[in-house]
Amino acid sequence: MEFNLSSEEESLRKIVEEFVRDELIPLESEFANAPDIFEGSRWRSRVKSSQDAEIQRYVAMMEELEKKAAAKGLWHLDVPKEYGGLEVSNVALIAVTEELEKSAIPFELGNHVSNILYNCKGEQVDKYLWPCIRGEKTSAFGLSEPASGADPSMMQTTATPDGDYFTINGTKMFPTFADVADFVQLFARLPGTAGREGVTCFVIDTGTPGYRIARSIATIGGTEPCELVFEDCRVHKSQVVGEVGNGWALNQAWLGARRFQVGIRAHGKCQRVLRVVRELVRHEAKDAEEIAGKVGYFLGEIEALHTLTYLGAWKADQKMDVRAEAANVKLFATELLHRITDFALEIAGPSGLRKNHTLARTFRHARATRIVEGPSEIQRHIIQRALFREGAGSLELQ
Amino acid sequence: MDLKLTEEEKLIKDTAAQFVDKELIAREGDYLRQQAPFLPPGAPAKRELDPQVQKELTQRARQVGLWTLELPQNFGGSPTSAVARVLIHREFGRSILPFRPISIPAFLFATHYGERLAAGTMSLALAFEEAHKTGEFSRLKTLYRQEPDGCILRDSSIFVSQPRADLFLFPAREQGTQRLGLFVIERDTPGVTIADEVELTTDATVARLMLQHCKIPNEQLHGYEYEGGQIIAVEQLNIAARSLGIAMRCLASSIEHARNRVTFGRRLAERQAIQWMLADLSLEIRTCTWLTVEAAWRCDQELTYFEEAALAKKRAAKMAFTAADTAIQIHGGYGVCKEFPFEGFYREARLMRLLYGREEELDRAVGEKFLRH
Repeated sequence: MEFNLSSEEESLRKIVEEFVRDELIPLESEFANAPDIFEGSRWRSRVKSSQDAEIQRYVAMMEELEKKAAAKGLWHLDVPKEYGGLEVSNVALIAVTEELEKSAIPFELGNHVSNILYNCKGEQVDKYLWPCIRGEKTSAFGLSEPASGADPSMMQTTATPDGDYFTINGTKMFPTFADVADFVQLFARLPGTAGREGVTCFVIDTGTPGYRIARSIATIGGTEPCELVFEDCRVHKSQVVGEVGNGWALNQAWLGARRFQVGIRAHGKCQRVLRVVRELVRHEAKDAEEIAGKVGYFLGEIEALHTLTYLGAWKADQKMDVRAEAANVKLFATELLHRITDFALEIAGPSGLRKNHTLARTFRHARATRIVEGPSEIQRHIIQRALFREGAGSLELQ
Repeated sequence: MDLKLTEEEKLIKDTAAQFVDKELIAREGDYLRQQAPFLPPGAPAKRELDPQVQKELTQRARQVGLWTLELPQNFGGSPTSAVARVLIHREFGRSILPFRPISIPAFLFATHYGERLAAGTMSLALAFEEAHKTGEFSRLKTLYRQEPDGCILRDSSIFVSQPRADLFLFPAREQGTQRLGLFVIERDTPGVTIADEVELTTDATVARLMLQHCKIPNEQLHGYEYEGGQIIAVEQLNIAARSLGIAMRCLASSIEHARNRVTFGRRLAERQAIQWMLADLSLEIRTCTWLTVEAAWRCDQELTYFEEAALAKKRAAKMAFTAADTAIQIHGGYGVCKEFPFEGFYREARLMRLLYGREEELDRAVGEKFLRH
């Protein structure tokens, strides 16, 4: 048994640790009042059209950081070797994110490419995959619909074959960044199919006739997901990713892969929230015992999240089935972050709800994460399904 | 990282699992119903293992290397790693039979009691009452004073579990220096009284250990601060491991029962209320399993592990309590029947939550340290 990182993983972690210490931490006060749009990896597409001088100042800082990270070899960590990436292990990616999360700056190492796009073939590779790897294009993910969210097998958007074309009709809810993306990965079903059958994945360029972005919707999480409408949108069959009727497996793979990152992100955010609590109570003797007890409890839960996340990432590296592990991490991480932030707000009082207060931001973000990419109830469903399928033996030490 | 068990660890785990299935779980039915040969004369309210069965089991456990896990080589043992001990205690936790490997701090084998402890002709209890609250000795009140002809222990009175033991490991602080010392006290030492034995809600007892004008030879002082902390950490890991076994048994039985039991035309397994109880329990088992194994691994690597062991114990004991509660709820009326093991687990887990650090105390200590930082 070995809980330490391999020497290769450890040296990567060290580089990131230094990067965070030398480049990110010094900028923290600068970023304290940055707008929400800099959260996450796709800030670039959101600020594309902005002429705001203040936003441009942050853009310059972010670009400078990206250059420095790339110079240290911290770019394309999760891109497969055949596309010129480093293809590091899942465990290494978790260790990297754990380091990045030690800073409050919402800086991510790129370029992340939706793993669905690695199923691109022929011309699709040059048109979609490479530009995404190079950071020239971004994509949106169209799965949820007005009447199907947690259970995407109920999707109603249809792709009707018509010679070499498909005609797409339907509405997609909540793809984030669709308004600024170059194309959307769209899931639609063949006519007459139901459930997981007949689901097909397409890449559809923004501006294709019959595809329009009806609106973008403000949320408390800071992102502005969109509503996409497809009305007799004709798409050539060369735009199908993977096989026709085989899209279900692709969307499951997309959802599964991100969970462990969610876990370690929440881990870092939880710690930062407790550090805010520490600052808030530093000079107050009032209720010190009760507060210390709760803080200690949460620190233990954070430790548990850490262990659970690394376990899942390690299992993913062993090519084990990690659907249940991923659900455990997503559920535990997002619920914990929400509880800790809620507790911190109790300590901070109303001033913690000032819009730009770090707690208010985390609170809004945390509330959303309990829903996006599969609400907690769906995670419990996935966990129990695996449990009844495989029995208690699935928890056995191997 | 490599979280697979080694071949040796697998072997140890399988040996323990087989022993528990074949020797312990197979006897549970009779034990729980307290039928002959398990029923001691007088049919007391407390369940006990028949001394003959206890002897037989001890012998068999010893044969397969599952008895004194810390036994050094010169006593014919092969001391197991902390990870292996977790694996073993985890398996024993699956059975309600009050039978498990004994835990003897390794340094005691170097004393003149070593031989008898190893042979099992002498038993040892930890008189650590003052450590149960905080999981450390910070609030230890008993003081001692060293004199040329022996250590004088200040008069005191504490509760001890296993009051019928021959030896007690007794912690005290040196007057003035506040240095911790661990004394080995024989039960018939002049000035030592053991009285007022009472039954707990579990099938165990506690009694008062009273010291009055008690003088202990200087060579009975064994072990200091670090040994004390180490013993507590080992006990915490044992409790965590046992809790994991309890939870695994409760989970497996509950899944089985939910698959078969039908209410209002549907199997319990199809009811979301039941599914979620078990989903949440399985999540807790996962996290506690790895927190415990990681703490044990740190011990084997000679890294710091006291805080990790305390956390593992705190979460795992609480989890075992929830697991037993869940199993009782899912088994319905059977759950509270004494013929089933779940109510026994429930009572045992409640006790384990109170040993070697209460949840609130451990949380507060961790929280205070963080807030001071």
